Amino acid sequence: MRKTFANIVVLLALLLALLLPALPMRAAAQEAPEQTTAVQAGREQEGTGQKGAVQEGDLDIKQLVLGHLGDSYEWHITSTGNGEWSIPLPVIIHSPTSGWHCFSSARLREGAEYEGLRIAAQGDHAGKIVERQADGSDLRPLDLSLTKTAAALLLNSVVVLCLVLGTARWYRRHKATERAPKGFVALFEMLVSGILDSVIKPCVGPNYRKFAPYLLTAFFFIFVNNLMGLIPFFPGGANVTGNIAVTFILALATFLAVNLFGTKHYWKDILWPDVPVWLKAFPLMPLIELVGIFTKPFALMIRLFANMMAGHAVILSLTCVIFATVGMGAAVNGSMSAVSVLFSIFMYCLELLVAFLQAYVFTMLSAVFIGLAQERPGKHAAEGPADNH
Amino acid sequence: MGLLQPESGLLFWMTLAFGVVFIVLARYGFPIIVKAIESRKEYIDSSLDAAREAEQKCATLEARSREIVNEAEVRRNEILREADNERKQILSDARQKAESEGECLLEKARRQAESERAAILDDAKHEIATLAVAITERMLREELRDRDAQTQLASRLMEELDPKNRKTWTPD
Amino acid sequence: MESLGILGAAIGAGLAVIGAAFGIGKIGGSAMEAIGRQPEAANKIRTNMIIVAALIEGVALFAVVVCFLAL
Repeated sequence: MRKTFANIVVLLALLLALLLPALPMRAAAQEAPEQTTAVQAGREQEGTGQKGAVQEGDLDIKQLVLGHLGDSYEWHITSTGNGEWSIPLPVIIHSPTSGWHCFSSARLREGAEYEGLRIAAQGDHAGKIVERQADGSDLRPLDLSLTKTAAALLLNSVVVLCLVLGTARWYRRHKATERAPKGFVALFEMLVSGILDSVIKPCVGPNYRKFAPYLLTAFFFIFVNNLMGLIPFFPGGANVTGNIAVTFILALATFLAVNLFGTKHYWKDILWPDVPVWLKAFPLMPLIELVGIFTKPFALMIRLFANMMAGHAVILSLTCVIFATVGMGAAVNGSMSAVSVLFSIFMYCLELLVAFLQAYVFTMLSAVFIGLAQERPGKHAAEGPADNH
Repeated sequence: MGLLQPESGLLFWMTLAFGVVFIVLARYGFPIIVKAIESRKEYIDSSLDAAREAEQKCATLEARSREIVNEAEVRRNEILREADNERKQILSDARQKAESEGECLLEKARRQAESERAAILDDAKHEIATLAVAITERMLREELRDRDAQTQLASRLMEELDPKNRKTWTPD
Repeated sequence: MESLGILGAAIGAGLAVIGAAFGIGKIGGSAMEAIGRQPEAANKIRTNMIIVAALIEGVALFAVVVCFLAL
């Protein structure tokens, strides 16, 4: 089974390496709409993304990277000589003055205004939909639009559901004690039992069954989103787990799992810990512990967000090196392109590792926090949960 | 910084997506998989245990059979030894019996011979006595005419012939 | 003035990363040494290593976020 896994990883890496030549076009082309709004360059002037990148220079690269890391109202696929290929996504807006709006984002292309709504070109809400008020000022309405990140999120959720339910269906149809699964189900089983045995059981402790579904869901949700984000073309390529809102909800879920199911002992340890009275009567320790309740999930949120965002940013920046050096002559541009591709391959391999590692770390830390909150008195805090498997 | 501000729309979609995924998977997905994996693990463990037990049983059976063979051998030796002893015993018994019987026979023969000899002696004595009486009668017929002397002599002779007084009387 | 702020943010992020790198490097080194001494406890050591490294990384990430906010 381990061999199968290694084979798949190698295959994935090879696939990514093969796809790399296609990457620059995508990366540069994708951000064309953001460039128009943010840099106010004329649409005709850009033509292809490559030309725009040459003309805008360093500033353009920063905008390009930030534009990808952010969000957009349509899902850009590619640019060809005939124009842009992008999927318009539904815009859902609730404005305090004009009520609900629901329409395709194609109506807002190139700065167009529809029902008083448009994508702000600059200001505090640059790149977001704003509503023009009667007095001429812009107001940011409640924006529930299915943006690119949200659409990718839903797509990846469907992928996760298919993966897990497909495996579960196999188990429902076969008796587990009859014969071991093959192929995909075997791979999935290896992942599940690996996480279960090496993370959940030792970290959560004896009643791990209660929390295993949440932790496994979190792991596969993050893992699939990370991997889909690494695919450089349409169904993937969205920066989902590198978005603070996504990681915020994930961290919130862990926060709830830790604190809603915490034992009496856990709360006693926070509010009245076993330290000298002068440390807790003047509530120094309880205060620190209370802050700790929030900093743990906060760190989870920031860690996942920063790692994935940084990965996307680095790969995009490396790709942009090709376009940044176009003006420096064929020799420099050619050698830099080679360097860029080599570094991109390296970064992709690293990101594959990071995609797994971050999902693993998120799950493990969630399991550890849950395990600490499940503690019963009379057990050693340091090694109690780790010894119970 | 825009990247660090969660968008309300995305929060909504994420809550929805993650919530649905979690509820569906916690209900229909992972419990089945976890249960199946654990039951398989248990099955493998129990199979291993059973195999180990069978091996152990096999080993004990082998030891037991070896023990039985050893026991049988010991028993056989014992029986052989016993049979040998018995044979010797029987032989010695038979010899003893034969000896004693022979002695008995010898004794019997001796006794018979003795008794026969005694009978012969008695007979001879009787004959001699009769003879002696007759001779003496004839000798004395002339000498003792009177009745009294005759009777006196006869009784004296009779007394002398009595076995109690045999030492004083020697007929031969 | 604003460029000075950006400079400060960049220097701060760099310093935070240096600290985190030092800390995680020490953890990794000690963990490897421990695994070398006790290969049978490798799993437990690795788990604890990841947890401690994650805690340090968390602090460093806080610092980076603060720098981000100052940018």
